[in-house]
Amino acid sequence: MRRFIEEFSIDHPWVIIIAVTVITIFFAAQLPGIKIDTDPENMLRADEPARLFDHEVKEEFAISDFIAVGVVSEDGAFNSRLLGNIHAIVEEISEIEGVVADDILSPSTVDDIRQDSDGVLTVSTLMEEPPDSDAEAKFILERIKGNPVLRGKLASDDGKAIALFIPIESKNMSQRIAGEIEEIIARHSSGEEYFIAGLPVAEDSFGAEMFRQMALSAPLAGLIIFLLLLFFFRNARIVIAPMIVAVASVIWTMGLLILTGNTVHIMSSMIPIFLIPIAVLNSIHIISEFHDEFQKYKHKKTTIRNTMLKLFTPMLFTSLTTVVGFASLAMTPIPPVRVFGIFVAFGIIVAWLLSITFNPAFAVLLSSRSLRNFGKSDESHRPLTIALHAIRNFNRKHYRAVLAASAVIILISAVGLKMIVVNDNPVKWFKSNHPLRVADVTLNEHLAGTYMNYLVLDGGEEDAMKDPETLRYIERLQRHLEQSPFVGAATGLPDIVKKVRFELFDSDPDKFAIPDSRREVAEELFLFEISGGDPGDLFKFVSQDYSKVNLWVQLNEGDNRSVMSVVESAEEFLSENPAPAKLEAAWAGLSYINIVWQEKMVTGLRAALLSSFAVVFVMMAFLFRSPLLGLISMLPLSITIMAIYGAIGFIGKPYDMPIAVLSSLTLGLSIDFAIHFIKRSRNIHRETGDFEKTYNEMFEGLGRAISRNVLVIAIGFVPMFFSTLVPYITVGSFFFAIMMVSGAVTMLLLPSIFIVLRKKLFPQAVAETEEIKIRKAS
Amino acid sequence: MKIGTIITAAAILFTSLPALAGDSEHDPEALMKESHMAMFYAADDGISEVEMKIVNSKGKERVRQFAMLRLDVEEGGKQMYYTYFRKPHDVSRLTFMVHKLPQENDSRWLYIPSVDLIKRISSDDKGSSFVGSDFTYEDVSGRHWTEDTHTFVREDEYNGRGVYVIESKPVEKYKGFTRKITLIDRENHLVLREEYYKKGDSPERVFTAEKVETIDGIATSTFRRMENLKKNQYTTVEFSDIRYDVGIDESVFTERSLKNPPREYIR
Repeated sequence: MRRFIEEFSIDHPWVIIIAVTVITIFFAAQLPGIKIDTDPENMLRADEPARLFDHEVKEEFAISDFIAVGVVSEDGAFNSRLLGNIHAIVEEISEIEGVVADDILSPSTVDDIRQDSDGVLTVSTLMEEPPDSDAEAKFILERIKGNPVLRGKLASDDGKAIALFIPIESKNMSQRIAGEIEEIIARHSSGEEYFIAGLPVAEDSFGAEMFRQMALSAPLAGLIIFLLLLFFFRNARIVIAPMIVAVASVIWTMGLLILTGNTVHIMSSMIPIFLIPIAVLNSIHIISEFHDEFQKYKHKKTTIRNTMLKLFTPMLFTSLTTVVGFASLAMTPIPPVRVFGIFVAFGIIVAWLLSITFNPAFAVLLSSRSLRNFGKSDESHRPLTIALHAIRNFNRKHYRAVLAASAVIILISAVGLKMIVVNDNPVKWFKSNHPLRVADVTLNEHLAGTYMNYLVLDGGEEDAMKDPETLRYIERLQRHLEQSPFVGAATGLPDIVKKVRFELFDSDPDKFAIPDSRREVAEELFLFEISGGDPGDLFKFVSQDYSKVNLWVQLNEGDNRSVMSVVESAEEFLSENPAPAKLEAAWAGLSYINIVWQEKMVTGLRAALLSSFAVVFVMMAFLFRSPLLGLISMLPLSITIMAIYGAIGFIGKPYDMPIAVLSSLTLGLSIDFAIHFIKRSRNIHRETGDFEKTYNEMFEGLGRAISRNVLVIAIGFVPMFFSTLVPYITVGSFFFAIMMVSGAVTMLLLPSIFIVLRKKLFPQAVAETEEIKIRKAS
Repeated sequence: MKIGTIITAAAILFTSLPALAGDSEHDPEALMKESHMAMFYAADDGISEVEMKIVNSKGKERVRQFAMLRLDVEEGGKQMYYTYFRKPHDVSRLTFMVHKLPQENDSRWLYIPSVDLIKRISSDDKGSSFVGSDFTYEDVSGRHWTEDTHTFVREDEYNGRGVYVIESKPVEKYKGFTRKITLIDRENHLVLREEYYKKGDSPERVFTAEKVETIDGIATSTFRRMENLKKNQYTTVEFSDIRYDVGIDESVFTERSLKNPPREYIR
């Protein structure tokens, strides 16, 4: 099989080149059919109960997702000039396509119930017209503070901040609408500063920004990798081959993804950035070997045959292990992660196939003249070789110290692992100086919060929510929730009943409470419904048959951990305080959806990681025909994972979506060097038959190939450190860390172990001649 | 501003005149007035039982049932309404009264039995919902024809009846609609269909008279429907036990009878 592939590639290079070109053109032709999907909600299956319930709640209570717009003025925002601006701004915002104009929450659109000077009960727009004087403006603030439904939501009690909540028909319009709102604000602002925040904008903007970053960072990483290859091998014609392999694997994979009708989600948009370095890895090994050996044989085909002979098995296994790592993602219950894992796995197989066919075919076609000087420079004086020799000598002397240090690193990492905090927040996918982050911090500091979530309490029967006992119980739950530092306000039906009653009884403070009679509750609610307000407003808090109450729980922080603590606090109250009647509680809202998929992600990926770990171990034991070597080969990978994730624990960086997904990459990549190192060391030993010779040889061609790989990939990802998006920085840092750590562990720890176990692993033997070896292999 | 709009309205009127010169049958203003009188000022007074169903987008309905008394103090002018709620059960005996003055704010009172309290409620906004339904106060008691400018569009057929089609636009900026198309029955001048537009080419609300009966010789639409296309819900109103020219005394429409419903009219 191997022989056939190699001989065919070497004998019919043009067939390979043409076939690759045709297939690549075919898949490239699929690319224009790309369908982009940036909704993080699709992290959950379409029929996921939490997601269906969220939609149900939003439909039943006619709630939309909100964009939060806020203005903060240290001198006080309630003056006639600023309110005039807000009035004009809201008027224009309501005209924007996709804004649910009727449901805008702002001083000039919400209804307030109050009693005017003649004792007439009025439900009317809080600020129908802009106020003529600052005194009138101040009065509006007083009314907001006097209405428990509006308080904290529309304005801070100190009057320094005003918020507008703009409901939108669909989340994926939020970035465009936010842009139009910005333009409107720019036209009307007279110097005051406005902020735009909210989960939908963050999520939608992130999607758009992500694709922009993608278009920038994947080619940039490719370019840097190309330049580094050029630096190492000094032959542009040769190093163009790995680049073609990388680009072709990306095109085949993305083409197939689109052809099979999959949308390009936030996850799958990352496929190129993952594939490029993985695709290049094998090619680097091939070129590195070709480079180091060419001057020995001075013959293209012989050199290629020898190179492929040495590398075929290690390359097959390094590719397979990486495939296992990514394919394990198919076990997670998160569709985009599954698609991502399966297609990266496909891309790796393509890259492997191209590496062993296209690279040799390409090399055969190069004119002998262009190769004349290839690999001729004396490697022994180049910094890489000098460094490798230094490592060789250090290891030989201090191998016990290396083993001890590794043990210490494992222990320290274990402590770090314990400290890992699972948390995520899509707003924090932006850097802290991003306008969305600034807006998030500013608005949540002043107001009740920009993260709107809903706790639905179902009494199971019509009119259940007119029961005074039930209303009092719900009111206690609201106050309990508000004790959480993350809950700015929990607003509900009890607030409306109290407010109506208070106004009905001439603003008597004693009446600001739930009445004792069920009939009074019913009549007061009816009064609210018929006294001129929008009945739709009431039914955002209670279902039309009064069987369910919808509490608006406004959070000032979107961290999953904070949301989780609020959910737990509600559970705690409900279990410790028996409800007066049957009451079922369930959450809805974007922040809640996020914790649901985080939960699935964490457990799903843990299972994926553990199972692929087991599979890789079995593969290694099989590859080396030795459980002991299998175990040793798992060490660099285990230490790399532990060290990287331990470091994350120590730094306090939350374990979020990108970090969770990257565990499979870490597993798939950090085994690679160990495979090459062990497999090829054994081959070397078969030639030398003497451990000392074998040991020294490890740090020549083999060492150089690994070090070149480490440097090319690690440095190729450095530009991603400067991305505007945190997950990109994370991905870049991971590639860098995986290469550096697994490279270092492989080059330091494995030789040290070899020294200790040399009698068992590298017994003295008669050296095999070249002929015997070739005969055996075929 | 007002004069300006009147001039514009006049201009529209005159430019459309040549085609219909001397054609009083097609005078849109007169037709709208006729239909207003037929819809809202039938006879001098009236009593009826009303069943209202508010049906939301999921098909769930809320039912309200009430008795309604109306007295026209002045034909086409001042009117008084008295409403006695029977359903929902938990608000039965709640009463509601309106004194309507065209071109002015109404006066509205509500009696809340559980706390034995009469409360005046505001009426700034005639475009607001009538008892939580898709009808507005204005839909129930009528929008005065002089508040809009009218254009005769064409004669047409609707459900087998000959109709006049009239387009109206508010004289002053109005929240309720920017454009309204009314189909008036040629014979009895009842409104058979009315479409309310705000933005774009599709109406936000559509009124239809589903059933017309002749009661005491007066054509009356006894089953009405208002569809809110934006919210995807609708309200139906069915009138029964209609009596005209009962001779209701004006004294019935006072605060006193809010607490003590006039038993001679309301069983």
